[in-house]
Amino acid sequence: MYEISHLLKEYFAELDPLRRREILDSLPADDDTEFLRALYASRYSDHENKGRKNVDWWLWRCICLQILYGRGRFLRTFRNREVAGIIGELFMNDSHHTFLYHEYRNTARRYLSTCNSANYASRMMGFRQASDEEKVIRACQDIWQMSAGIAKSAGVEAEMHLWVESFRDELYEYSPVCREEYERLNK
Amino acid sequence: MNENKFMTVFKQNAIWLVFIAEIAIFAYFNPKFLSVPNIVNISRQVSYYGIASIGMTFVILIAGIDLSIGSIIALVNVVCAYLMMNMGWNMWLAILVSILMAILIGVLNGWMVASIGIPAIIATFASQTIFRGCAYLLSGGLPIPGVVLEHPTFGFFARWALNRWDIFKSMGQVGLIPICAIIMVICFAAGSFILNKSYFGRYFYAIGGNEEASELSGIRVNKMKYLIYALSGFFAGLAGIVLLSRSGSAQSTAAIGFEFEVITCVVLGGVSVAGGIGRMSGVVAGVLIIGSLKSGMIMMNVSEYTQMVVQGLVLAVAVGIDCFSKKRQAS
Repeated sequence: MYEISHLLKEYFAELDPLRRREILDSLPADDDTEFLRALYASRYSDHENKGRKNVDWWLWRCICLQILYGRGRFLRTFRNREVAGIIGELFMNDSHHTFLYHEYRNTARRYLSTCNSANYASRMMGFRQASDEEKVIRACQDIWQMSAGIAKSAGVEAEMHLWVESFRDELYEYSPVCREEYERLNK
Repeated sequence: MNENKFMTVFKQNAIWLVFIAEIAIFAYFNPKFLSVPNIVNISRQVSYYGIASIGMTFVILIAGIDLSIGSIIALVNVVCAYLMMNMGWNMWLAILVSILMAILIGVLNGWMVASIGIPAIIATFASQTIFRGCAYLLSGGLPIPGVVLEHPTFGFFARWALNRWDIFKSMGQVGLIPICAIIMVICFAAGSFILNKSYFGRYFYAIGGNEEASELSGIRVNKMKYLIYALSGFFAGLAGIVLLSRSGSAQSTAAIGFEFEVITCVVLGGVSVAGGIGRMSGVVAGVLIIGSLKSGMIMMNVSEYTQMVVQGLVLAVAVGIDCFSKKRQAS
């Protein structure tokens, strides 16, 4: 399922936006490449027009989904409306499942690549740094919240199915502990 | 509502149940606790640390801390009073300059934390010492008495309203509600709006949750830190003005240890010291709990030293619960 060519594998494995652009430019011009270009443009554009370069808009939407998961019940209507907006922005209703699946995994991988930083999951105002194990557990929780958690909470599991599946698969590859933690959170 | 949803709602609002239980206990031991004058008094007392707790909430949300707010309050007190009493400045101008100074101190804190990379606790502790010293230097260690602030924020409105309705009985209150409490409510509404409805609020949560991912997703983390510490300075400055309007006298010793009370309110209200988690409604509950606790203990003739012990314990328990829940999540 979701099989892709060697060159595309390289494209979806790369996390650096500039390097990805180079690979994208080297792809033959066809409908698939056009769709990938559309995905690229959507993902690495400064949608708020604040003059920033190489903004990973999708990564920002991941963080937004996680924040929305933590919102109180009294703001649920506003929250669900925003989640619906994000579903549209991230092409979740589109039929190019294979490309979307890999692009979502790439987004999840980029998020996970930040989960090794020194201050990630630190405690007591950064005074106590987290252990590697704590960082992995926290990363699992973050990924779950921004995918399965928010989908469940907002009642949009069907619409976010591909997103949830790709994030889960990426997480399972991240660390062996993640499967158990993810399943625990899913209960 | 299934059991899980019930537990989620219960957990999210447990702080309000604690507040109600506390009120019930104090009212049981002293029925005057729920008298109107005491409630008015509590609302007046909580106003200035309620205002300061908004800025502290933003700071703690990004996993930082601001230990300088007590000194900012003292310095704003002294500077505003000095400009008015010793230099004859207009009240509004003195307030404006004092608050601008508080914002600049916040920017300085932001610079030390974001640009130089000094840990927030050290940077703001240094600011605390520096600006407390400045307050002593300016006032010579003596109080500046006789400061009359006609409740600056609402001064014009109150004076205008006084001439029209009998309900505005005095300059210090609108009906039964102290003006400083109204200022606090407006500040909480503004703080809540920033957190829930503005992109800045979203950025605060994002930075507290995962700073590196925030940076990659286009947030200018350092600029945000400047902004957050400046906001903390602004709210501390405003709290200083409210305190000055209440006391009518500027003291360089004002608000010593105040930052710990504010941190207690914020952490008690559910804002995680690890950053990224917390709501303004919880902070409101935290402020009310601490205000009622102080008032209740005074009414029960608990000594000042015992009050300090109790407040310290409350802070330890609040932070302990936060750390314990984080540890449990991680295990």
